[in-house]
Amino acid sequence: MASALRSAILGHVRVPVVTTGSKLLTPLWINRSTSVRSMSSHDDHLEKTQVIDRILDIVKSFPKVDPSQVTPEVHFQKDLGLDSLDNVEIVMAIEEEFKLEIPDKEADKIDSCALAIEYVYNHPLAS
Amino acid sequence: MASPSRTEIISLFRSLLRSARQFPDYNIREYTKRRTIDSFRHNKTLSDPSSIAAAFSDGKSQLQVARRQAVVYSLYAPEIKSIMDVKH
Repeated sequence: MASALRSAILGHVRVPVVTTGSKLLTPLWINRSTSVRSMSSHDDHLEKTQVIDRILDIVKSFPKVDPSQVTPEVHFQKDLGLDSLDNVEIVMAIEEEFKLEIPDKEADKIDSCALAIEYVYNHPLAS
Repeated sequence: MASPSRTEIISLFRSLLRSARQFPDYNIREYTKRRTIDSFRHNKTLSDPSSIAAAFSDGKSQLQVARRQAVVYSLYAPEIKSIMDVKH
């Protein structure tokens, strides 16, 4: 009874099909302008300029550092007058910023902005 | 007791900072970090090998404490985040 009624009603109802250009046909998660696939492993790979800016911000915000001296090539201990403990602290701060886990051996080698930028930029998981 | 090498000390420092990050509670996390940095700075000028070795073994036992406590505290994580943890 109910199903007969239902099909009788549905048979009379006309839902107009609206096509407002191709916009509707494109799924929401595909952003054509950047042509980036959301599930691809390379979609959030960082731009080099972004990496440089964020690393420089970290180094500049370090209490003992004079922000005006910070450049992308600066050496932490030779140019900024930091010691090895400060160096470790900066590398730890970079780890936190980019959500990385840098192994001790690699972390020991990072002693300048240039090396830090290089490392983070080439790290596939940096975000 | 042999005096620890520079890399061993740096590695202990890094391990302590890493274990500090494990605490779910903002206050304890920051305290552990601050305490680590302050005490390494405090002992920076030590030159006597035996006192360096004593400070190093003290640091190592503190590391054990920090690791153990991080596990215990993670079982009783605060239900409400500290205001300092909330990103704007």
